[in-house]
Amino acid sequence: MKPLKIGITGVRGIVGETFTPELAVEFAESFGTYLDRGRILICRDTRPSGPMIRSAVLAGLLAAGCEVVDLGVCPTPSMQLAVKWLKADGGIAITAGHNPWQWNALKFVRSDGLYLNSTQGEELLDIFHQGEFAKAGWDTIKQVVQTADAIEEHVKVLHESFAADAIRSKNLTVAVDCCNGACSFVSPAWLAKLGCEVLAVNDNPSAPFPHAPEPKPETMAQLRAVVKAGRAAIGFAHDADGERLGIVSDLGEPLSEEMTLAIAAEIRLRKKTGSVVTNVSTSSAVDIIAARHGGTVVRTPVGQAYISEGLIEHNGVLGGEGSGGITVPEVHLTHDSLAAIALILEHMAQTGERISELVGGLPRLTTLKHNVTVEPHRLYSVLQEFRAAMEQERLEIDSADGIKVTLPDGWVHVRASNTESMIRIIVEAAEEAAARNLLDWARDRIKR
Amino acid sequence: MRAIPTLKISISGVRGVVGQSLTPKLLTQFAQAFGTHTGSGTIVIGRDPRTSGEMVKHAVIAGVLSTGSRVIDIGICPVPTVQLQVRHRRAQGGIAITASHNPAEWNALKFISSTGLFLDAGQARELLDIYHQGEYTKVGGAELRTVEEVEGATDLHIKSILDTLGPLPKSHKKLRVVLDSCNGAGSLVGPKLIEALGAEVIELNTTPDGSFPRPAEPLAENLGDLCRTVKEHQADIGFAQDMDADRLAIVSSQGEAIGEDYTLVLATLYVLGREKGPVVANLSTTTAVADVAKKFDCPVFLTKIGEVNVTDAMQQQHAVIGGEGNGGVIYPRINFARDSLVGIALVLHLLAESGKSVTQLLEDLPRYSMVKDKMSCASDRIPAVLRMVRQEFATFQMDTRDGVKVIMPDGWFLVRGSNTEPIIRVVAEAKSEDRARNLVDDVLGRICFTG
Repeated sequence: MKPLKIGITGVRGIVGETFTPELAVEFAESFGTYLDRGRILICRDTRPSGPMIRSAVLAGLLAAGCEVVDLGVCPTPSMQLAVKWLKADGGIAITAGHNPWQWNALKFVRSDGLYLNSTQGEELLDIFHQGEFAKAGWDTIKQVVQTADAIEEHVKVLHESFAADAIRSKNLTVAVDCCNGACSFVSPAWLAKLGCEVLAVNDNPSAPFPHAPEPKPETMAQLRAVVKAGRAAIGFAHDADGERLGIVSDLGEPLSEEMTLAIAAEIRLRKKTGSVVTNVSTSSAVDIIAARHGGTVVRTPVGQAYISEGLIEHNGVLGGEGSGGITVPEVHLTHDSLAAIALILEHMAQTGERISELVGGLPRLTTLKHNVTVEPHRLYSVLQEFRAAMEQERLEIDSADGIKVTLPDGWVHVRASNTESMIRIIVEAAEEAAARNLLDWARDRIKR
Repeated sequence: MRAIPTLKISISGVRGVVGQSLTPKLLTQFAQAFGTHTGSGTIVIGRDPRTSGEMVKHAVIAGVLSTGSRVIDIGICPVPTVQLQVRHRRAQGGIAITASHNPAEWNALKFISSTGLFLDAGQARELLDIYHQGEYTKVGGAELRTVEEVEGATDLHIKSILDTLGPLPKSHKKLRVVLDSCNGAGSLVGPKLIEALGAEVIELNTTPDGSFPRPAEPLAENLGDLCRTVKEHQADIGFAQDMDADRLAIVSSQGEAIGEDYTLVLATLYVLGREKGPVVANLSTTTAVADVAKKFDCPVFLTKIGEVNVTDAMQQQHAVIGGEGNGGVIYPRINFARDSLVGIALVLHLLAESGKSVTQLLEDLPRYSMVKDKMSCASDRIPAVLRMVRQEFATFQMDTRDGVKVIMPDGWFLVRGSNTEPIIRVVAEAKSEDRARNLVDDVLGRICFTG
């Protein structure tokens, strides 16, 4: 079975195998039909399949009668902001985010700059499956693709949302690894504009990804070396499209991607208490931090659209996921690694607190993540069998997304990936030994 | 019940109506089939200015890229410019996005091989087989190539014309030319070429915006505006291009559309004056071409209808000039393609170097009248019709390679079934229009009585 995932988060697959140009064309036609034509923005990250998928998407959107504005290579959140100021009806981001470079995906954004929610995602899929698309005739079809720059406006909004002057006055030394992705066009120049001494690596958008575009300790060795050699105050690691953020401390410690939300929550709740919205799979460290500051934690299913909706419903002060995606509501209600950087730098500038000091005061739990690859047709049966096993053991099940059970030493969360044909197991405990035991316990109960 | 046809997939490519059957998925799959057929090399893409052009182009680029081919996008340009670029860049193939003379709602893909010629019947069948089998080459990751957008492809076209023919002789007074590009692919390059040759150009319908100011075929009845403009400006000649700028028609200084079959006649007159050699045309081309060749003591070869048949024979015979009666001039020294720009350059050189007007040049040649007509006829009736013609005109000389051509002392007629529609076409040529009309009417009458 070759990997292809058509789901409510969009369509995602390996180019050259399952993710064909006609699939991209038909999804773009579906989206154009769903939005009843209108103005649609597109952007992409730096993957080698980007130009091919871009043309397929343009063909589909134009055929449906849409007016298309191509933002070129830019972070997905830049496009999500642009949907609003360009008064567009929606957008398509051509990026597989943190997936390896052979992958690509289409992610669908609505007129408020947020991803389609699960109901809207299903409506889009219905149109795709029905295969009846809007078709523009020769006299209504749009003849040209317009272009626009979304990055400048994104930076402007960031400067309005944070104390840029405070950051500028400190001349912080900041290391950044752009993974040769879309942020290569933004971060180094923007950080320099903020008065930072910038130590940029992998900021060549025409070069291949130097490592997996997934910010986590395993992929941050190079950034760590730069932070240490350059005595940087902090190091930031981007994914391919500017949603997830990884952090290396001033001591050169590559932090777990789970710590990004913990850091952001600590900074945010110290200033302004309220609800932090995160998913069921994210570390409990955020619960401990929220309790310290009199805040609350709202848990949603895994996926950005749920975080956005949770923030609206609970008027949250911060959103985020254990993957390193952070949402700062003042900027917009979607993950934005640039907004997360601004939040952290503002804190460092205003308080003078070093990032290692801040991290030192945070709860350190051990979170272990393990993926079990499963044949696509078995994915949900495996989950059902795991649930049955839990019921047999008379454990209380939280089924907001997959199956989460809490045991005396910690918790276990088992769910199907939204993006790949695999079961994700996440366990967390106070001590590493206990976490390992929990992971073994869960793996024993999953039968491929 | 018969559906109204909005899609035609054949060995001449894929052609359909935008907003109906010509979907981006179909186009991208055809482009994948072509990329698979050419074997992942470089493919040149150009288009005419139809409103659907941008959509079709992106569907094609996506399909071609997905097979691991590299794309050179030369933008809006004549079909012969695409063909020239394919050879110039030693590309593995080309795709011209144009439905040539079809109305605005149509668009089409025409496939070009590495030689710069359109796919021949065998290659086209292979392409169709790949399309129908649906197994396309797929590459991912680092094997994916990119799109190179190239500007100035038409400048190369102009340069190769000037390099071969040179500018018009300076001794002669500057020729005044009206060009009607039908707002098509020749709109920008046409005037540039005429100026580069050293003539004055008055532009008519040279805004390439996908609007059709007149029917795209450069037939005499569509050229009223051009005829008027030539007279108004006292121009020496008027040229009319079609949407994809492969065909060319001529209007004399007196404002008379001389008939698109006479474009090849004048081009042949000029080329044979420069160098002698074989001439190739198709079976329904005017006899005036043969008369010109005879004047220069050069052989003429007539082929079946279809551009590919003409170019094939031109290669075999090492022809110095060839083409079709529909205004398609092929001059191999510049481009092995029907090329209106080459046609313009040849005819302007003829005027400048001879010092004669179009009317004077034609007066030196025997004039013929050609009449074309058609009637509906189911494809299964066509063999009986052709047999009837063979029997009833058995005493005359005949050519039966493509339908039946009957050659009489004072004219000829050709009867053939259409490859694309359920009709039978009759073309006749004679010294007088009445005689030609009589020949057509006589044959049509006999067809009516054929069971």
